[in-house]
Amino acid sequence: MINMEVDIGGLKLKNPIMTASGTYGFGREYSEYYDLSKLGAVVVKGLTLKPREGNKAPRIAETPAGILNSVGLQNPGIEVFLQQELPFLRKYNTAVIANIAGNTVEEYCQMADKLGTSIDAIELNISCPNVKEGGVAFGTKCDSVYGITKAVKQHCKVPLIVKLSPNVTDITEIALAAEEAGADCLSLINTLLGMSIDINTRRPILANVVGGLSGPAVKPVAVRMVYQVAKAVNIPVIGMGGISSWQDAIEFMLAGADAVAIGTYNFVNPNAPIEIIEGMVQYMENNGCKSLSDFKGKIEI
Amino acid sequence: MRLVGVDMKNEICEIIHNKELTLGVFEMIFRSENIAALAMPGQFVHLRVNTGLYPLLRRPISIHSVDKTKGTVAIIYHIVGKGTEEISKQVTGVIDVMGPLGNGFPKLAGKKCAVVGGGIGVAPLLELSKSLSHCDAYLGFRNCTYKVEAFENSCNKVYLTTEDGSAGHKGYITDQLKKNITEYDVVYTCGPKIMMKKVMEICQLNNVECYVSLEERMACGIGACLVCACKIQEENGEWHHKKVCKDGPVFNAKEVLFDD
Repeated sequence: MINMEVDIGGLKLKNPIMTASGTYGFGREYSEYYDLSKLGAVVVKGLTLKPREGNKAPRIAETPAGILNSVGLQNPGIEVFLQQELPFLRKYNTAVIANIAGNTVEEYCQMADKLGTSIDAIELNISCPNVKEGGVAFGTKCDSVYGITKAVKQHCKVPLIVKLSPNVTDITEIALAAEEAGADCLSLINTLLGMSIDINTRRPILANVVGGLSGPAVKPVAVRMVYQVAKAVNIPVIGMGGISSWQDAIEFMLAGADAVAIGTYNFVNPNAPIEIIEGMVQYMENNGCKSLSDFKGKIEI
Repeated sequence: MRLVGVDMKNEICEIIHNKELTLGVFEMIFRSENIAALAMPGQFVHLRVNTGLYPLLRRPISIHSVDKTKGTVAIIYHIVGKGTEEISKQVTGVIDVMGPLGNGFPKLAGKKCAVVGGGIGVAPLLELSKSLSHCDAYLGFRNCTYKVEAFENSCNKVYLTTEDGSAGHKGYITDQLKKNITEYDVVYTCGPKIMMKKVMEICQLNNVECYVSLEERMACGIGACLVCACKIQEENGEWHHKKVCKDGPVFNAKEVLFDD
């Protein structure tokens, strides 16, 4: 019997497949395609204290094997999430992880207070490249990562996951700062800052000029960063960045990820997370693996 | 109609036909009893371009017509980039389709209607015109026309313009609509933003109800990713970003705020 259970910093998941924040709304749309109870966890769209309208369109540009987005954290605010979206997700037997973003450290703390124990974990979004204040500004310096993680940890009643930005010189320093400040788990990578120009109009394709690159194009960067971070820290790591098949998911786990999240590829194949779970089970059977620890981090150098 | 429960799926559909109608404009017919049965005029399908990773995203294309008895669906698309170019090369085999998606045009019983299409925006109006009891069509093209005969079969009158005068009247279709606008209760429009803005203006001045089908760059097509934002005004005057894919693509013109 194959056991796919995994513990990510105090939160036990039935399997290591999650959906990445910002690609999955609050689960309603994909619930029409499959039973969300099959997932290890759903990570919801980035929440802010007050509702946000986000950036102007166009918010997306397609690039080779990837996309640039600049949604800008459009969301209905934490109150609407708690009242209208969370009860829907709670009908399913899957962990719910709230991704939160703020303009100030105090806002992050207030959101952690409001969420309390109504959700299963909090993912601290200090890596969104598409908002003017907060977001990635907190996530690119060790002292600010340490400061915000330590502050939110005191308000957080569930496991705290810190989501790391790849737009840094040395991601292991940032990872270590988050761990030292009390993070229970790390998730990486958020999007890579990028840009695309229409050569006929000579204007950027995104109304916001720059945006975050995701999709298969970023996968090798993400695998490398997961590998480096998993070696450096002693807390679980959730790997993401361009996963489009079960083979990709296994690759991240060999690199050291305890769990993985599917993001951009949901847009291409709405059933991707389910097909990846099935493929992973098959891989484990074929390779005589009884639990994830039989191959997690087992890269041979 | 959107089904409740785990009923939605992407379908692998057989391509029956994929041919150029006029310069750069193609018609594809594929087999899907499910989509043919459920589709409402104004809805769209979301096509996987190929099985590779580039182009990565699906392409949203309006449904042109359906044949419920044969279980087939026709779409018409213009080659505007790599995705549509790739789709145009698939003359046989299968294609991965999600749909029908979005909300179609509301049909108002017993009203005198006009459909106003520009360029590739003509395509989604045919099925609608067939379903209306009293409908005139206003079709505007730059130069190459397509499917005019189909509209002649389904509408009372067809007004045709081309910018170069190669077919129908020379000029813009909105000038034709302006002359006759008082004859209508409802106008449905799809086409370039500049044309739809003009149609909305004409309807507003004459107190004619108007529905517009918006277009925006999309990713998921089902309302999860929030990239296809449009500005929609509420009754209290406040505006919010709505999703073209799921809240639209058809909106009441009086709610739509276009950014300049």
